[in-house]
Amino acid sequence: MMKALGPLSRRRFLTASASLGIGTIAAPYVARADDPTLRITGWGGKWGEIMKAEIGPAFENEFKCKLQIDSAFPYLPKLQASSRSAPIYDVMHTNSNEQWAAAEMGLVEPKIDAKLVPNLADVYPYAVSDKIVGVSIFTSAIGLGMRTDKGYGNITSWKELWDAKYNGVRGGYVIPVNSLGQAFLMMCGTLFGKGQTDLDAAYTALEKLKPIKIVDFTGAMEKMLLSGEVGLCVIHDSGIYRYDGQNQPTDFVSPSEGVLSLEQVLTITPGSKMKELANAYVNYMLRPEVQKRLAETVWYSPANKKVKLDAKYDAKLLTTPEKVSKLIQVDWKWYNERKDEIDQRVNRIFRA
Amino acid sequence: MQTAASNSASLPAAQQAASVRTPGPIRHYGRYLYLAINIAILVFLLAPIAIVVVFALNPTPFIQFPPVGVSLRWFEKFFASRDFMHALWFSLEVAVLTTLSATILGASAALALARGNLPGTRLIVATMLSPLMLPAILTGLALFQTYVLLDVGRPTWGLVAGHTLVTLPYVVRTTLAVLHNFDTRLEEAARNLGASPLRTFFEVTLPLIKPGVLAGAIFAFIVSFDQFPVSLFLVSPGNETLPVTLFNYLKFDLDGTIGAASVVSIVLAFVVVIGLDRTVGLRSYVKL
Repeated sequence: MMKALGPLSRRRFLTASASLGIGTIAAPYVARADDPTLRITGWGGKWGEIMKAEIGPAFENEFKCKLQIDSAFPYLPKLQASSRSAPIYDVMHTNSNEQWAAAEMGLVEPKIDAKLVPNLADVYPYAVSDKIVGVSIFTSAIGLGMRTDKGYGNITSWKELWDAKYNGVRGGYVIPVNSLGQAFLMMCGTLFGKGQTDLDAAYTALEKLKPIKIVDFTGAMEKMLLSGEVGLCVIHDSGIYRYDGQNQPTDFVSPSEGVLSLEQVLTITPGSKMKELANAYVNYMLRPEVQKRLAETVWYSPANKKVKLDAKYDAKLLTTPEKVSKLIQVDWKWYNERKDEIDQRVNRIFRA
Repeated sequence: MQTAASNSASLPAAQQAASVRTPGPIRHYGRYLYLAINIAILVFLLAPIAIVVVFALNPTPFIQFPPVGVSLRWFEKFFASRDFMHALWFSLEVAVLTTLSATILGASAALALARGNLPGTRLIVATMLSPLMLPAILTGLALFQTYVLLDVGRPTWGLVAGHTLVTLPYVVRTTLAVLHNFDTRLEEAARNLGASPLRTFFEVTLPLIKPGVLAGAIFAFIVSFDQFPVSLFLVSPGNETLPVTLFNYLKFDLDGTIGAASVVSIVLAFVVVIGLDRTVGLRSYVKL
C-alpha cells in the first residue's frame, strides 16, 4: 500500500525548491569532480574542429581525463586575472609573442622538461631555441601571398612588396594587434637596415609601403586576396594552402631572404595542479601521428622531425632540415620590451 | 475663455499667414529636403543590414559587390555547425534567463525607488544606472576576477548575473519613466474598495506600469542576446555565446557564415518583437 504524502507546507515547498535549484547548479561540478580535468587553450576554425572531434577525445580516452579547451580569446588577460597558485589554464597554446609576454610575467614556465616530455628529443632545433618559451609544436611560414591572375610575374624577394606597381593592392596588418605584422616589422629592419632590431630602418621602410591596405586578422587578409582586393600581401603559408584544390588564383611566395616563423607554442603554467597530465598533453601533441593529422588538416609545418606527411603536404610544408633552415625566428622578448614605443610609432605612420 | 470654435477659426488664418511668408517653390524645396534627409537616415540605418544579407546570400567565400548569385550555402553551413547551433541556443537560454532576472529585479527596484521614500534615492538610481557608464569590457573583467577570487569558475549563472548587471539599468529606467506619471489615487481607490495589497499590485499597478516593464524587458533580451564584451570573459569552454563564437570564427574563417548568423540574429530580434506584439499587444504601448 502506498504511503500517503503529507500536505505540502510552504516550508517544505521552499526547502524542496532550494534543494532542487542548488542540485541543478551543482550537478555538473559534482559529476565532474572525479575526473581530472586538464584546462587548455586552443584555436577555433579547423584546428578547433579537429581538436574537438578527434584529437581531444583520443587524449581523454587514453589518459582517462577531461580536456577543457578554451577557444574564446583573449587568453593572456584571463590568465593574468586568475590566481597564480590556481591558474585558469594548465597548458597555454598561443603564438610566441604572447607566450613571451606570459613568461616575462611569470605566468608560464619558460621551458619544458625534456625528461617529462620524451618527444621533445625529436623536434627541430627551432622548436626549443632560445627564441622560444615552452615548445613550438608547429610553425607556419610568413612570406608573401600573391594573385596569380594579375600578371605580376615571378616574385622572389620581400623587397618586391615595395614596388610601385602594387600601390592600391598591397596588403599588411595592424601591427599593434597582429603578430604577422609585428614579425614583418622586424623583417623590414633586416631587409633595409642592420638587422631585426634596426627599428629606424624598419619605420622608414613602412613609410614607403604606403598606400597599403591593413587588416586586424589574417582571416580577413585571406579573403581580401581571394576577392582580388589585394594582389600582394604579407601572409602565412597555411592561409594560402588551406584553399588547395579549390582552384583559387592565389599562391604563396617563399622569399629568397627567408620566411618568418609563426610558431604554435605550448607552455605549462607554474601553478597548475595537473603537471603530470600537462606534460603528457605536450608529449601527446608532439607524437608523429597527432602531428601528421593536425598538419594535414590545417597546413601547419610539424615540429617533430619524424613526421612523414603525404606527398601533397610534404611538397609545400617545412618538413626537412633544409626547408626549416629558411625559417627566421623573431626575438619576441626584445620586441615585447619595446612594444608600446613601437605601437605608438607605427600608429603615427599609418594614421598619416 | 477661448472656445473650440474660435480655435478652428484661427487655424486657416495662421496657415494663410504662413503661406504668405514662404512662397510655393521654397515650401516644395523644404519638403524635398525633409524627405531627402529622412531617406538618408533610413539608408544609413538599413544599409548595414542590407550588406549583411547580400554577404549571407552571396556564394563566394568573401564579400563581393555586385554579388555573383544567390546561394543558401552559408545558411546550410551555419545550421549544420554544432558549434554555431549550440551557441545560438545557449545565447537564447542566457537571454531569456537574463530578461527574467533583469525584469523582476529592475521593476521591483524601480517600484521601491519611486514609492519607498528611501534615503539617497538619487544616489541609488545613479548606482543602478552606472553599468551603462562603465566600458562593458571592464565590467566583464571585474566579474571574471570576482568569480576567480570566489573560486566558482565560470558557471552559466555567473554569465546570467553579468548580463543582468548590464541590462538592469534599461528596465529600471523605463519602469521609472512610467512610474513618474503614475496616478497613485488609482491604487488608493482599489485599496478603499477592499482589494488586498497583492491584488492591488497585480490588478492595478502592474497593468499600468506594464509598458515600461515590457519595454525594459525587450531591451534586456536584445542587449543580452547581442552582448559581447561582458561575455568575452565570462563564457566557459564549450559554452560560448553566439557573439563570442562569431568573433572566434571570424579570426580564422571570414566567410558568409558570419553573414548568415547575423541574418538569423536579426530575424530572431524581429520574431521576439512580433511575438510580443501578438501576445501582449505592443501597439497599445507605442506612446512609449
